[in-house]
This record gives sequence, structure tokens and C-alpha cells, in this order.
Amino acid sequence: MISIPATIWDDMIAHARELDPHECCGVLAGKDGVISAQYRITNILASMTEDELTTFFEKGKLSDLKNLSPDERADIAFIMDTMEFSSAVKDIRQKELTLPIFYHSHTSSPARPSETDIKKAMDFETMREKLNFPEPRHLIISLEEKSHPVIRAYHIQNSLSTEVPVQRQ
Amino acid sequence: MITVRIPTPLRPMTGGKGEVEATGGSVLELIDHLNGAHPGLKDRICDEQGEVRRFINIYVNEEDIRFLTGKETPLKDGDEVSIVPAIAGGSHG
Repeated sequence: MISIPATIWDDMIAHARELDPHECCGVLAGKDGVISAQYRITNILASMTEDELTTFFEKGKLSDLKNLSPDERADIAFIMDTMEFSSAVKDIRQKELTLPIFYHSHTSSPARPSETDIKKAMDFETMREKLNFPEPRHLIISLEEKSHPVIRAYHIQNSLSTEVPVQRQ
Repeated sequence: MITVRIPTPLRPMTGGKGEVEATGGSVLELIDHLNGAHPGLKDRICDEQGEVRRFINIYVNEEDIRFLTGKETPLKDGDEVSIVPAIAGGSHG
């Protein structure tokens, strides 16, 4: 069970609602099962050029995204701003927090990892240990039902996701 | 030699290898040398102005080069360089 303070829990929902229909993203961190820090991170996808998209995404995903306007792309995917992410990581290290959670919203689908979520999580996993970064959990805020946001968290290992209970405290 | 960790999306350009060895006195030199051995790799890491793309993090050992001296960050024998794409995902697909 991971406990998330009410202020952080509510701010994640506020973050998701502020950016809806774009996906929001961010990082939480804590230790011993209790979250104590939140970092909102900018989803840079809508501001990425076609050239940038081409160098980031594999072909199948790319052709889907290229058919959409930049704004529409951010409705179905996110890419975290790297400078903001690195600043968060630096702060997490300084505070000696060992439980990071990467969060993002699904604005019109359930709070469970998509194939892309799992693939990108596994891509990061291949680099993570060498960077001496603690193993993250992945949290999704679903706004599928706008008046009833749903938050669920997952542990993604070997391309499989297992739900991790989270509670607002 | 410097060990360079290649992320999954760029491995087709290194013959599938997740780690390659390279030389270079700075991150920029290292990228140029990598591009010599694996043509096209630099374009995936740097933009037309030669700056590291904003959705790529490069770490020397455990530190992001943006907190060091960017692409001019000096390298020495035995350093480990990791090329890490931005955290990404989303509801689609």
C-alpha cells in the first residue's frame, strides 16, 4: 500500500483537469510507502515539431500521431520535459527519497497502462539501474468519468503490469 | 575508453547493442565519434544546431550533463555515458 497525502492526491486530479483534454504528467516521491513530494512536469508533446516526432517515436506510433494536430497528439500521449524531470530527480536524490512514482492522466480511457505505457516503462527500465535510480511505480489518473476521477498505480516488470494499492491520506 | 549506453529505440543503429565503447574528450566529441561508427546516430541525439534534443537526457555517470557543462562536459577514461529518452507514454496504443 502506498499512502499519498490528500494535498498531493487532489493536486494530481487538479493537474489532470487543468490540462484536459491534454494528458498531464509528473513525478511523485517518498519513502517507506509514504509519498512526500510532487513535481508537476510539462507534457512537451504538443510543442514538438514533425522532425522531433520522427526522431522520438517508432514508425507505427509515428504514423498515428502524424495524422493528428499537435494539440490532438497531447490528448493521447505525453513526453516529459527532460530539464524539469532531471531537476525533480536531483531533488529526489538530495532528499534521499527511494520511492519514485511517474504519473500521467488518461483523459478518456481507464486508469490502466496502455501498450505504449508498458513499452516506454520497459525502455526506461533498461537504463534505470545503471543510473542508480530507484525502481519507479506508475500511476494513472483517469478522467474517463469527468466527475469521478479514478487513480490507480502499477508496478511494471517484464512487460507486465501489476496493480499496487494506493490510498489518499 | 568510455562506455555508452544506448536506449532501446536507438539500438537498431548500433546493430542491436545496448552498450558500445567510444572515445572523446567531451560529450560532443563522443557523439561525433559515435556517429562515425554508427552513421545517423547524431541526428537522433542532436538537433540541426547541434544541441542535444530536448527529449533526450545524457548522463555522465549519474549526473545529467545539463547540470554539468552541457555538451562540453569533459569525459575521461572509464566514464559511463547514458543516453536516456524522456519519460513518455499515454493512453493511445
